[in-house]
Amino acid sequence: MIRIALIGQPNCGKSSLFNSVAGYKAMVGNFPGTSQGCVSSRVSVNGETFELVDLPGIYSLSSPEPEQLLSRQYLISHKPDAVINIVDASVLSRSLELTLELLELQIPLVVCLNMMDEASRKGIQVDVAHLSLDLGVPVVPTIATRGQGVEELFRVALEIATSGATGRKLVMSSDVESVVSELTAQFPDGTARDFGVSSRLLALKLLEQDEEFEKGLRKSQPDLLPDVQRLRDQLATHHGRPADVVISSERHSQAVNLFEHVATVKPRLKKSRREQVDKYLLHPWLGYVFLGAILFAFFSLVFGFGKYLEIPLLSWLQRLNAVLTTALGPHALAGTLLHGLLQGFSGGIGIVLPYLIPFLLGLALLEDIGYLPRAAFLMDSIMHRLGLHGKSIIPFVLGYGCNVPSIMGVKTMERQRDRFITAILVTFIPCAARTTIIFALVGFYLGPAYALSLYLINLIVIAAVGSLMSWLMPEVSPGMIIEMPTYKLPSVGAIAKKMWFRLREFAVIAWPLLIAGSLVLSLLDYFHLSGRINGILSPFTSGVLGLPAAVGITLIFGILRKELTVIMLVQALGTSNFSAAMTAEQMMVFTIFSLFYVPCLATLGMLRSVLGYRGMLFALIFNTAVGSVIALLYRLGNVLIRLLT
Amino acid sequence: MMTTLAKLKNGAQAVVKDIHGGHRIRSRLNHLGVHPGDTVEVIRSGYLGGPVLILMHGAQVGIGRGMAERIEIETENEEK
Repeated sequence: MIRIALIGQPNCGKSSLFNSVAGYKAMVGNFPGTSQGCVSSRVSVNGETFELVDLPGIYSLSSPEPEQLLSRQYLISHKPDAVINIVDASVLSRSLELTLELLELQIPLVVCLNMMDEASRKGIQVDVAHLSLDLGVPVVPTIATRGQGVEELFRVALEIATSGATGRKLVMSSDVESVVSELTAQFPDGTARDFGVSSRLLALKLLEQDEEFEKGLRKSQPDLLPDVQRLRDQLATHHGRPADVVISSERHSQAVNLFEHVATVKPRLKKSRREQVDKYLLHPWLGYVFLGAILFAFFSLVFGFGKYLEIPLLSWLQRLNAVLTTALGPHALAGTLLHGLLQGFSGGIGIVLPYLIPFLLGLALLEDIGYLPRAAFLMDSIMHRLGLHGKSIIPFVLGYGCNVPSIMGVKTMERQRDRFITAILVTFIPCAARTTIIFALVGFYLGPAYALSLYLINLIVIAAVGSLMSWLMPEVSPGMIIEMPTYKLPSVGAIAKKMWFRLREFAVIAWPLLIAGSLVLSLLDYFHLSGRINGILSPFTSGVLGLPAAVGITLIFGILRKELTVIMLVQALGTSNFSAAMTAEQMMVFTIFSLFYVPCLATLGMLRSVLGYRGMLFALIFNTAVGSVIALLYRLGNVLIRLLT
Repeated sequence: MMTTLAKLKNGAQAVVKDIHGGHRIRSRLNHLGVHPGDTVEVIRSGYLGGPVLILMHGAQVGIGRGMAERIEIETENEEK
C-alpha cells in the first residue's frame, strides 16, 4: 500500500490535516509540539486507500530534541512513497527553510500551503504557481481546518507517490558549494548511502555540526573528522562566523529570497483586532489580572456547572439503586453484584461526567484559541524561580485535565532535567479525577472555601517541591523560546471532536475499570474480605492519618483511578452522606492524601515511558511520602489550632 | 548603537548582529527565524525578568530574558 508522510514545522496544522481525513486520532491544539511520536492510519480519499503517517513537527532536519530526530529518522530510513510538507503560509519565509532541507533529501515531495486564510489576513498573497516552479514540486493551497483543498492535496500526493518525482535543489553561494564538493570528494564510496542520504546532504549536515551525523561518522569513518573540522574552520575564517551559522544563514537567505520572489505583502497600517487583544492579555500587569480571571472563570464554570448536574443525577441514581437492590434482596449475591454495578455506573455518570465535560470544554477552548502559549509567556519569570521556564506551564495547565497527556507534553522540553522536574511536579497537580474528589467531598460537604484552600495548599507544595528539586539539580536554564501562534477562532467541530477524544478515554478505559472495581469491592464486602485489607492498612490509615479504618480499601482502588477513592467511599462507609461517617478534618486529610499519594496507573505508565523505570519508582515512593507528610502536617496544624483556641 | 535584545523597549526595531552562545542555542534561535542580519521588532518586553516577545518574519516568538541577553543587536541611532 502507498505510504504518505506528513511533515512540517510545529503548529503548522499537520494534525488538523491528518484528522480531517483520518478521523480524530492525533491530538491537536493551538500550541507547538502537540504531536508526540508518529500516528499512522489507513485512510481513503477519492476512493483511493493509502497509509497516512503524522510525524512530530520539526523546525529543521537537525534539531536537538529527540522527538524531532524521530521525524528525520523516519524520513530517512522508512522512505515513505510521498512526503507532504505542510507549510504555514502565514509564516512562509521561515517555513520554507525546512522545505529547502527536505528538497535536499530527494524524496517525492508535495508542498501543502496551509492556513491560506491566516496568510491573507496578514496581507500575504502567494503566487502558488510561481512557488511550485521555483521549488520544482507541486504546491497545493489548503485551509485544513475547513477541509478546503484537502482532496486536491491527496490527489496530487498520490500522483507524486506513483511517479516518484523529486524537486530541484537550490544552489548555495559558490564558496559554500566548493567546500561542500571538497568534502564530498573525500567520502569513500557508500559513505552517504550508509546514512541513507545524499553525499551533498551529509556534507552539509556535517559542516553544520549536526550531532547525530557526526556521531555516525565517528563510528564509521573517524579519519574523515579532521577534514570536516578543517573545512568548517575554512568557512568560519572566510565568513567571520561559525560554519553552522554560515550554512543556516545561507538557507535562510534563500528562503527569504524565495519568499520575496513568490509573495507580496501588503503593509497594514492598522494592527488586526486579533493582535490588539494581546495589548491586554500580555500587558505587564493587566495580563496577570486576565490570566487570573480566565483561570477563575474556568474554575467556576467547572464547579458551578458540575454541581448543578451532580445533585439531581446522583439522587435519581440513588433512588434507582434502592429500588433495584430491594427488588433483588440486598443481602443476596445478585443484589450485591447489582448494587456494585450500579454504584460504579453512577460514579461515572453522576460524579465524574458533570465535572469532566465542562472542564474538557474549557480546556479545549483555551487550547484552540491559542491562549496557552500566552500563559507560558506570562508565567516565564515565575517559573524561573522554580528553576524551570515558561514552557512548563503548558504541561502544568494540561495537568489539571489529566496528568497523562501533560506528562506526554513534557517531551517538548529539551533537557532531561527539566523533563524530570516538570513531570514529577505535574503528578502533584490535581487532575480532573482528583478535582472530582475535591469537589464531591470537600467542596460539597465543607464548601468552596475549603476546596479553594486545598488548591492553595497544593500550589504551595508544588512550589516547595519544585524549588527543592531545582536546588538539588542546579543548572542554568538557557531560557525559553516559544512560538506565539496567532489567535484562532475555535471551530465547533474541532472542539467537539477533541472533547469526544478525551471523553472516550474516560468512557473506554476508566469507566469499565470503575465498574469492575466497584463490583470487586462489593464482592470483597460480600465475603467480608475488605475488613482484612483495611486491618492490614489500619496502622497507617487510622494510626498516622486518623481516618476511619474502612477507607483503607478505597485508597488501594485509587491507584487504579483516582476518582475511585471517593466513589468507593460510598461502598466502604456504607452511605453516600459522607458527613455522617467522617469529620471535616478527616475529609480534608483524606482528600489531601488522595491528592498527593501514588499517581494512578495510567500516569505511572506514562512516567515510565518519559522518565524510565527509575523515574516511575521515584514518583511512586516520593509522592506517597509527600502525601503522608502534608496530611500529617495538616492534622498537627489542626491540633495546634484547637490547643490555642 | 550596540546593545542586547533584553534592553530594547516596546515597539523598538533593531538588526540582529550576533548570537552569543553555543551551537545549540544558535540553532534553536535560527529555527524560529532569528538570524544575524535580520530586523527584529520588540512587541512586548516583560518586566521583572520576564521574557521578550518579538516579531520576526511575520511570526511572534517569546524569548526568555536570559536568552534575550545573549542576542546582540544594533539599533538605528535615534535621538534621545
